[in-house]
Amino acid sequence: MALDHEEREQLAALKGWWQEHGNLVVVAIVAVAIGAAGWRGWNWYQNKQSLEASALYEMLTRAVQASDAKTMRDASGALAESYPRTLYASLGALVAARYDFDHRELKDAKAQLEWVLERSRSDDLKDLARLRLAAVLLDEKAYDQALKQLDAPHGDAYAAQYAALRGDVLVAKSQTKEAQAAYQVALDKAGKDDNAFRQSVQIRLEALGG
Amino acid sequence: MFKFVEKQKLLIQILLGGLALTFATWGIQSYTQFRSQNDTVATVNGLKITQREYDDALQRQQQRLRQMFGDRLDLDALDTPATRRALLESMIDNRLVAAAAAKARLAVSDDTLREAILGIAAFQENGRFSRSAYEAVLRSQGMTPQSFESSMRYELTLAQVSTAVTHSAIAPRSVAARLAKLLEDKREVSEALVPVQQFMAQAKVDAAQAKAYYDAHQDEFRIPERVRAQYVVLSGAALAAAQPVTEAELEQAYEANSSHYKSDEQRRASHILIQVAPDAKEATREAARKKAEQILAEVRKSPGSFAELAKKYSQDPGSAEKGGDLGYFDRGMMVKPFADAVFSLAKVGDISGVVKSDFGYHIIDLTGIQPGHTRTLNEVRKELTAELQKQKAARGYAEAAERFSNLVFEQADSLQAVAQRYKLKLQTTGWITRSADKAPPPLNNGKLISALFSDDVLGKKHNTPAIEVAPETMVAARALEHEAASLRKFDDVKSAIEQDLRRQEALKLAAKEGEAMLSKLRLGADAGLKWGAIRPVSRREAKGLSPDALRRIVTADVSKLPAYVGADKDDAGYAIYRIIKVIEPDKKTDAQMATDVANLERAEGGADYDAFVASLRKRADIEINEKIIERK
Repeated sequence: MALDHEEREQLAALKGWWQEHGNLVVVAIVAVAIGAAGWRGWNWYQNKQSLEASALYEMLTRAVQASDAKTMRDASGALAESYPRTLYASLGALVAARYDFDHRELKDAKAQLEWVLERSRSDDLKDLARLRLAAVLLDEKAYDQALKQLDAPHGDAYAAQYAALRGDVLVAKSQTKEAQAAYQVALDKAGKDDNAFRQSVQIRLEALGG
Repeated sequence: MFKFVEKQKLLIQILLGGLALTFATWGIQSYTQFRSQNDTVATVNGLKITQREYDDALQRQQQRLRQMFGDRLDLDALDTPATRRALLESMIDNRLVAAAAAKARLAVSDDTLREAILGIAAFQENGRFSRSAYEAVLRSQGMTPQSFESSMRYELTLAQVSTAVTHSAIAPRSVAARLAKLLEDKREVSEALVPVQQFMAQAKVDAAQAKAYYDAHQDEFRIPERVRAQYVVLSGAALAAAQPVTEAELEQAYEANSSHYKSDEQRRASHILIQVAPDAKEATREAARKKAEQILAEVRKSPGSFAELAKKYSQDPGSAEKGGDLGYFDRGMMVKPFADAVFSLAKVGDISGVVKSDFGYHIIDLTGIQPGHTRTLNEVRKELTAELQKQKAARGYAEAAERFSNLVFEQADSLQAVAQRYKLKLQTTGWITRSADKAPPPLNNGKLISALFSDDVLGKKHNTPAIEVAPETMVAARALEHEAASLRKFDDVKSAIEQDLRRQEALKLAAKEGEAMLSKLRLGADAGLKWGAIRPVSRREAKGLSPDALRRIVTADVSKLPAYVGADKDDAGYAIYRIIKVIEPDKKTDAQMATDVANLERAEGGADYDAFVASLRKRADIEINEKIIERK
């Protein structure tokens, strides 16, 4: 196909433009490609970390089911040591805390929960860890420390449970009036669903004559 | 064209560059994801839940319901705005948790995924995973292994988060113990009733009140829409029964299947096995044989204790526990030397010598003989006839079902034609409403009832389509008579309303009288009541008390006994309860305490997960397409 004059001129202009800017274009493409490769590499690394942490976490939950304290501790230690920034490390610590609590190792349970409070990157898991830390402290009869944890700021979604536990601590301290108020807050904040939690708080409140 | 390129050079360069980069870094598959369905049910943080995903979830839910309640369930009636919203909300919850998991790069390992799939019963044959069953089940659900595995991965990752949050809840033992005590503290109560009947005469209700009630509560007086239907049933069984079977056919089928009717002799035996591997050394073999000989001597001395000796000596793990019993078997089921030995014994109770097989040395006790037998044609005539009829009908049924469907559709104004063609009986029903589960069989089928109440049937007076209500059973129906929903006339219900209102009034009077008695009783006076039997009740054991009465009893101030509380007792009147004694629960066993703790853990764990999801929701941007939820 023969090109007419105008088209030949345009082609020449295009070639000229390429000679002038070609290098810049190539450099830009290479830079973007390197950036993209770096981004993918970072992703790949993160995913690899997460998969390794996932395997450790599964090992931990299996050990908990099998009541294998040693494996549980090994896995939980490795998670906290090598993958502290993964969500698995936080989940693992919560599960380990429950295991310790069930086996009346309250100190270890507290240490796991405190680790979540200090190191976790999830505010939700921190709120849960704090709530559970207060629950352990209640069983240790460290009532004021428990109340201090419950006073700390937390997400509104957790308000009902924080209030219910506050009621429990106040009952233990024989502060009936305050406990009633706390349980009432818990009921107000809990959803409308008549679930097991709500019923349980209702009974605790009624028992105080409220 | 070039002119355009030149003018828009920069733009086109950027476009082309961008395009190349997207392919380089994203891969092509993301493009396919842009082809979303137009109908979006909800958007969660910018990600859509499409109509199709919603429909899939709905279908899975309905499948579960069907498995639980069977075919009679009218699923259409369960598809209300409220149920649609509940399903959608739970899908949104799952989306949020899955998104949070994905953001935190949670992912279950391939091993876990494999294990989960291997453990699913639907994919197993004889208790083991079967690749072909796996693929067949997926095909039937319209899924590929890839799509199934990716949805499994989604579910498992979701479960990883939900179990971690739920199962790590901490239930303070002090709270669990206190709750358990509250649930179990018993109070001995005796009940006295202030009966409503005493006040019926005093209670006055006039016609105006009854009319006002009728006007305000019309829903109670509605008669639902109803029809009387005519129907025909085409069933495989009926078709089969109508199939003629000739003597010649019977004989031929009997001959062809004669092996089917012949059973070989079966024998039952117990054995004691001394194991020797087939490749064992001569010395080992000899030692085993000696041992077997010794046992044989012992057996011969007291043949009656064969079972005990088998338990003691036999090295066959499958049978030793059962006293060596192997049950009935025929020749082919056992290794040859063993079978030969068993079948050469003359009568029950005979004991073999030491028999050598690939497993080692056996001592065998014959415990039963079932002689072989060939059933004659006359013995099997009935079942064989039924079988042949079924075969003939099965070939015919599929064809008949299709023609039946067509005929019902083509001659939509009557069921006469189809009834004549297939010699079916035209049957009629009494009045039936839209609730399929209350309809008489075989019309108690949700799909059929929906069809019966459709415009096509009620308005145009057509037949329903032929609907398969059970395997090989098709029903087609039409409406003979139809009544729209209506309201019962006031005059028809007036006296019932008056009676009801009078009772309400009397109940109020009874309560008033009861409360007066309560005050007297509390002051120590005798109200002249008749007290019932004393029974212990607790929050855990309500013994038929209403929740309100129970709550009043367990929360009553018992610093002074007897204490008195009162509560309405349904329609009977006002009940007064005398609390006589408080009984502390017995000291608990560890197992009981573990249950108490587990109960609290469940409550706390559930609440923790709900709060976790609620917290994600607070930060999320959720839009729900109300039109789809509210559609009728």
